[in-house]
Amino acid sequence: MGVKEPPDFLAHKDGDSVAVAVRDLDPGTVKGGYLEGPASVTVELRHAVPLGHKLALTDISSGADVIEYGIRIGTASRDIKRGEYVHVHNIRSARWQNSVA
Amino acid sequence: MAEQRGLTGYRREDGRVGTRNHTVVLPVDDLSNAAAEGVAHLVPGILPLPHAFGRLQFGPDLDLTFRTLIGVGSNPNVSSVVVIGIEPNWTNRVVDGIAKTGKRVHGLSIEGRGDLKVIEEGARVAKSFLQDASELKRQPVERSEVLITMKDGESDTTTGLGSNRVTAYLVERWVSDGGTVIFGETSELTGGEHLLAERCVDAEVRDKFQRLYDDYIAMIDGTGANLLGSQPTQGNIAGGLSTIEEKALGNIVKMGQVPVTGALEAGEAPVRSGLHFMDTSSAAAECVTLMSAGGGVVNLFPTGQGNVIGNPVQPVVKITANPKTATSMADHIDVDCSDVLSQAATVEEAGERLIALVERTINGRLTCAELLGHREFTFTKLYRSA
Repeated sequence: MGVKEPPDFLAHKDGDSVAVAVRDLDPGTVKGGYLEGPASVTVELRHAVPLGHKLALTDISSGADVIEYGIRIGTASRDIKRGEYVHVHNIRSARWQNSVA
Repeated sequence: MAEQRGLTGYRREDGRVGTRNHTVVLPVDDLSNAAAEGVAHLVPGILPLPHAFGRLQFGPDLDLTFRTLIGVGSNPNVSSVVVIGIEPNWTNRVVDGIAKTGKRVHGLSIEGRGDLKVIEEGARVAKSFLQDASELKRQPVERSEVLITMKDGESDTTTGLGSNRVTAYLVERWVSDGGTVIFGETSELTGGEHLLAERCVDAEVRDKFQRLYDDYIAMIDGTGANLLGSQPTQGNIAGGLSTIEEKALGNIVKMGQVPVTGALEAGEAPVRSGLHFMDTSSAAAECVTLMSAGGGVVNLFPTGQGNVIGNPVQPVVKITANPKTATSMADHIDVDCSDVLSQAATVEEAGERLIALVERTINGRLTCAELLGHREFTFTKLYRSA
């Protein structure tokens, strides 16, 4: 593998609505890509996102599915804007209805 | 087959292959722990397996305890066993179960004699078993004979992005070489269980998988509890995992693109090769203990935030793709694949590194968990004792 810029974040599948920070990220312009699919995406990050935590790649309406791995990982519990930090404060399990922050 | 780098192991009387050569003193119940540890004190090379249960259990919960005791005693990483119980009936049931493997096993019961006489006889037998085991030689073995188990712990999003993709690389190669791999963590398939059901090789396996999954989830649902903080754990959440579905989809990555050839009850040994589901808790020590009962001889343990678990019988290989954990928990990490996350290494490159390390572990290299004395031996309890 040739020398290349390490990514700020990685997403699993084309069409995922969230991606994972692969280093601690400050608000501002961040660049990342997909394990499979398009090579490069730029996002204006609205919050700091620690390594391993998620950022929104798209706007997600309250109640809509949140997609990672090409599959639903839960639903948005409030409106989420592209570039926002995504975690238990704004998404919840769609399967375990009692499991809420 | 050229890539098989001279694997060696201990071939046992029943034909199964071990990666370790433990002589074990196995208490049937909590009351017998002191005598078991007394034997190990007199014969320091003996491995005692104290645990918390074994009294007044009944029905399926008792069956599971017997399956765990007999399975662990029968594990090919164990050369011979001294079994100690408070009374003779259940002690003999464990002895008879282990004896079916053909390995040497000696039972002692405490009632009517007391600890000290049992310890004296147990120590004499254990000394003899251990001395004989010390002369057993490793022999060349094939990948197809080495039963691998796997379990995630303190997962985070780097598990699905990194360490489990690397683990899947090994799993796919092990299975294509005729090997057997067991995964478990029933509740931790939630949100992706349909993907595994689709991969079951036939209707019988699929129905059993679905029944085991549905029963476990019904037990959880029946409590009506909010599981956030338990499953996913506080550590999972600190690592960035937000829901059970997200955790499960990361977990499932490590199964690679391999069909599911078997669905096993907790602690049940597989009878054919390929990838098997085992119905287990997602708690690390409970899960790996059941996998030892199922005959696992090396455990792959991808971790995000740095779970420190070990097992007395199976070497547990810790794998992380989290660069912070690889540094802060370096004492516990056997394989650092954080370069997959920075895209400085490919999954194939890191996967070959993992295979090399696992093969050295099979051949006798001690894992961090073994070196640090992690011997978690934890029974799964289905309900209260009578």
